[in-house]
Amino acid sequence: MTELEKALSELTPAQAAATNWVDGPLFVLAGPGSGKTRVLTTRVAKLLAETPDKSFRVMALTFTNKAADEMASRIEAVVPDQQQRATIGTFHSFCMQMLQQHGSHIGINPNFAIYSLESDRADLLKEAIRANGLDSDDERFLGTIDKLKARLIQPEGCAKLFRDSGVGQRVELVYGAYEAALRSANALDFGSLIAQAYRLISTFPGVALHYRRAYAYWMFDEFQDTTDGQYRLIKALAGDSFRNVFAVADDDQIIYQWNGASYKQIQRFRADFSPTEIQLPTNYRCPPSIVAAANRLVVHNTQRTAAKQPLEAGKTTLLYPDGQHINLLRYSTEEAEATAIAAGIAGIPEGKRGQIAVLARTRALLERMNTALANAGVSAAIAQRRDDFRSAQFLWLAAALRLAARPADRRALDTLTGAFNRWFDLGASSDDIAAGAEISGRSLLAEWAGAVGFGENDQANALTALATALSAQPTTFRAFIDQVLEKLPAEGSEDATDIDEDRTAWVSLVRSIGQAIGRDAGLDQFLQELALRSKEPPVPDNAVTLMTIHSAKGKEFDHVYVIGLAEDVLPSFQSVKAGEQSAEMEEERRNCFVAITRAREWLCLSYADRYRGWAKQPSRFLLEMGLNLPQAVSA
Amino acid sequence: MQIKRVTIENFRSIKRAEIELSATTVLIGPNNAGKTAILEAIRIALTRRWGQRGTGFTEYDVHLSAARTDPKVGDPVVIEIEIQESAVSEWPEELHETLADIIQLNPMSGQASIIMRVSCAWDDGEQSYIPKWEFLNTDRNPLAGKGARATNFQEFFSFLPVFYLDALRDAGDEFTARSQFWGRLLRTVQIPDPLEQKSVRIFNLLNAKLLAADPLLGDLATSLSDISRVATTGTPGQANLRVLPLNTWDLLSKAEVIYQNDGTKPWLPLTRHGQGVQSLSVMFLFRSFVELLLGELYRAESTPVLALEEPETHLHPQAARTLFGHVAQLQGQKIVSTHSPYFLQYVPFRDLRVVRAGPDGTIIKSLPREFRCRVPNLPAFAPVMAASGGLLEYDGGLSELVIKGSLPIGTYQNLLVACNGHADMAALHARLRAARDASLEFISDEDLQKLETFARRIRGEIFFANKWLLVEGQSEYHLVHGMAKAMNFDLDEHGVAVIDFANNGNCGMFTALARALGYAWTMVVDGDLAGNQYIASVQARNFSPAEVAQLVRQIAGQTLEHQLVADGLQVELKAILTTQGVPGVAAMDDAALIATLSGDKCGYAAELAAQCAASLPLTQRMPLAIREAIETLRGLP
Repeated sequence: MTELEKALSELTPAQAAATNWVDGPLFVLAGPGSGKTRVLTTRVAKLLAETPDKSFRVMALTFTNKAADEMASRIEAVVPDQQQRATIGTFHSFCMQMLQQHGSHIGINPNFAIYSLESDRADLLKEAIRANGLDSDDERFLGTIDKLKARLIQPEGCAKLFRDSGVGQRVELVYGAYEAALRSANALDFGSLIAQAYRLISTFPGVALHYRRAYAYWMFDEFQDTTDGQYRLIKALAGDSFRNVFAVADDDQIIYQWNGASYKQIQRFRADFSPTEIQLPTNYRCPPSIVAAANRLVVHNTQRTAAKQPLEAGKTTLLYPDGQHINLLRYSTEEAEATAIAAGIAGIPEGKRGQIAVLARTRALLERMNTALANAGVSAAIAQRRDDFRSAQFLWLAAALRLAARPADRRALDTLTGAFNRWFDLGASSDDIAAGAEISGRSLLAEWAGAVGFGENDQANALTALATALSAQPTTFRAFIDQVLEKLPAEGSEDATDIDEDRTAWVSLVRSIGQAIGRDAGLDQFLQELALRSKEPPVPDNAVTLMTIHSAKGKEFDHVYVIGLAEDVLPSFQSVKAGEQSAEMEEERRNCFVAITRAREWLCLSYADRYRGWAKQPSRFLLEMGLNLPQAVSA
Repeated sequence: MQIKRVTIENFRSIKRAEIELSATTVLIGPNNAGKTAILEAIRIALTRRWGQRGTGFTEYDVHLSAARTDPKVGDPVVIEIEIQESAVSEWPEELHETLADIIQLNPMSGQASIIMRVSCAWDDGEQSYIPKWEFLNTDRNPLAGKGARATNFQEFFSFLPVFYLDALRDAGDEFTARSQFWGRLLRTVQIPDPLEQKSVRIFNLLNAKLLAADPLLGDLATSLSDISRVATTGTPGQANLRVLPLNTWDLLSKAEVIYQNDGTKPWLPLTRHGQGVQSLSVMFLFRSFVELLLGELYRAESTPVLALEEPETHLHPQAARTLFGHVAQLQGQKIVSTHSPYFLQYVPFRDLRVVRAGPDGTIIKSLPREFRCRVPNLPAFAPVMAASGGLLEYDGGLSELVIKGSLPIGTYQNLLVACNGHADMAALHARLRAARDASLEFISDEDLQKLETFARRIRGEIFFANKWLLVEGQSEYHLVHGMAKAMNFDLDEHGVAVIDFANNGNCGMFTALARALGYAWTMVVDGDLAGNQYIASVQARNFSPAEVAQLVRQIAGQTLEHQLVADGLQVELKAILTTQGVPGVAAMDDAALIATLSGDKCGYAAELAAQCAASLPLTQRMPLAIREAIETLRGLP
């Protein structure tokens, strides 16, 4: 049996119906644990495997690089010789590729940098404001600029969208100056990846035609997370003629409303494409009692598909007997809650802890949990996107690479100098180095190496020598990386937690980048891909994973703890204030729905009577789930 | 899929040259002008073996000049290949899909293009010439991301397989089992297994019978077995005689083409035929290869690119004349170099490229339908283009302004104004000026159609000449030859073609053609009204008054005959007429003499020319305008 036949044989009839869909628009409404990603990858594999003589391409977009990497590996395993016909990625990586290839029509060079750090962007805005003689107060408009970009609004004429025309005028000027500064730095931020791709497609019909011609089938995973901008991009790309759009979504898992995701996008998709709809209500992940609780919870929402079938429990082998799958615990305070949960986890054998997750609505609760676990001697890690490395060593490495690619990047020089100063306890000034470079005409990297090299520390000298060589020949950057890695403090050495974390992050980043663009790609591309990805290290084996509910989307664990199930926590204070009928409250309910449906075998829900000293009621969601609240505080 | 343009820099004889290619492009020009360099550049760019250690590219491939004597120092060799759909979705689906990551677009229409660059420079670190292949975007910057992946080249080359048939092709080499077409064709032959086994049985049986037929053969085999005692160290081997093939491949690999000239002649192997037949057979072998095997070896959608040197080699003129038709019908894109006026006779003017060695490297001239200028698509161009009545277009797929004819001064100025305020204004102006100047050499389809009609006969001759001398008619044609010889500037020796334009179309057209294709020219016309009109027709072709004054000579008298009489040549002329048996010559006054001469032009002119050739003093008494024209010719580069 081929890998594909095997994959197909494992599908249920409903999954097979979606997988075997060929032409025309399809909307797959699929609950948690219903195998929707499997449907999507198998469909990609099948489309490719069945047409070995064809050369059409298939694109599948999702929302995180991790999810994309997993999908790509799965497809490679099933159809290794057709894999090059599949473009698997995120919306951002897809737009990045489009701008690399066709951006010239809107003045974008293929080797643009991606500014993924808020600090870089704030600096850029500050400079733009200064250079244009604008009011330095207007630095506060960065968030406004992002909102405009998310709505695909270009600076020109955006003033008229503001109620207060004075503010509008100022925003338009600042936004224009910011965009011009990005352009002159040959850089894009995350928002511009989507906004500029949209501008390209909506201005030039020939570009969309190209994608319709080359990509016969388009697929979107986690479609419920699509923002207004992303949806308009898809629509503009498809035009009026393209129909082979396949979207997989769960309207009960929209938890990025604050970021622009909305049930509206699903409604627009239905209106624009009139897709056939297939539902995958069977949940193969969670024990029946969790499925039942999830069903009871989510029917309280109104912003969802009217005809949506309730989840059906499909899991056949259960680790624990009936009646033990959901546990509800009550504590006096959040401290007590954290300590008791940590103690409970400490009682679980170490070998199983890699399959344990503690989920919470907020990062603060996770920090407390992390401390409690550490006190209980349990290894744990908070898994959350990191925009940058933490150790001076890796900050320096990344900055050196960036300076090699962009010899005049002043911000990279600041990072480089700061990181190296921290590493070797030096006091070099990036202003002095930049001034020196202006006189000597050398690149910033070479000038920096000249300024800090020849000190007393042999290792520092060796590193500056490497940097000098890199600045002369940027194409040797891979050798540079290897040589720098060799010179880093050994794994497990004292005070090297950050370095160790960054090192494991680096290794997995390089693997993922290699998979995306090949191992011989140039420095510019390497840096573009690096900027797109989170610098968070993978959670170590046998460590407990701590996650916000938002980060847990798409994940699953044998044991799941959801803590802080109290009013004003989950649901959040803002949603409670907005009221039971509010969109915010529905979003909170979906957060809870997502959290509990992460559990494969066992779910533990907990709350405390007091948070931050304030008395709190148990979360309304506990009641909605039909659970009996404990009469007394747990021991 | 078709190569639209090749740009070559610093390669062999070429400093910088652009050549536009059509379905069939014909290169003409003197030896060592750079024709082979063009063909080789295309072959190298489309094969990607160049510059690997020990193969291909060497220091001899770098263009050297007075300013550059060390091939290791200086700008790299660059070859850029541009390919573009002639209309939206001209290319098959498979191509759009397979090459999706490297395709560039006219962003409005979606018309696709692909731009590939090969560059090669000496690398001190590697101590070798390191070539780099890249696909580019419309700004000619290398693509990043998926477009930079190495796998794209393999796919791209499979759509454009390139084949090279050089001038020295030899049927003896091309029809062997290891050759590029014949060998590959033979190897795809599949003999069904039962037939293979049966053949082997029969071969073996027959071989044994033949060996047994004469004891000498058997003894020979035994004695040859002694080889094994010397040659092998371990187990003893055995030698045997084989008079028949071992298997069907053995048989097939020796297959040869036999050819019969006509029904009465014997069938002979190709290699026993004349060189012409052999040379021709290799070309038709290529055709069979493309028709039978190309799709299988590459892709069904592949376009073969054939670089063909001197297809006329060893052929009779009559055969060379029809050959162009056969070459043009070959599938794919052909780039052909030729030295044959006969081959040239049916080549459309637009497909012709004249290749010359200039002081600053190879120069390529042609008669383009449009002129292109690399400028960004500035918004301010839009109204100028809209008002141009279709003369101007913007090609977003290659980022070029396209000028489809001569650019009038007003439109040109509007374009200059449209660049105002642009950061690179000076550079844009310079490029627009160059394109405008080039566009003034435009020759319309109607003009070329007329030339096809009038000048087919003389085409071979004039395109292989260095310089053109335009004269009105046959009399001048004869006279200039004779006079030039006396003036020690033999027209044939110096590659001067004399065109009697009054019989072959119009002189304005010839001067425009000469300028566009880079032939130095000069012209002599009569002093009459017709002569004035001829001069006006040259002026109408965008020549400046200074150029006209320098290149056009007008005879002072009304006609040549008037001037000959005015120059006091009555005695010589009357003598010639008398010899030719014209009655009453002695009594003729000047008017009668002129009338007689004008009535029978060729007769006297040929004789006068012969006398001029033999006598410099006589030549020096001939009309000044003609002598000056010959001197002008002598001075032209």
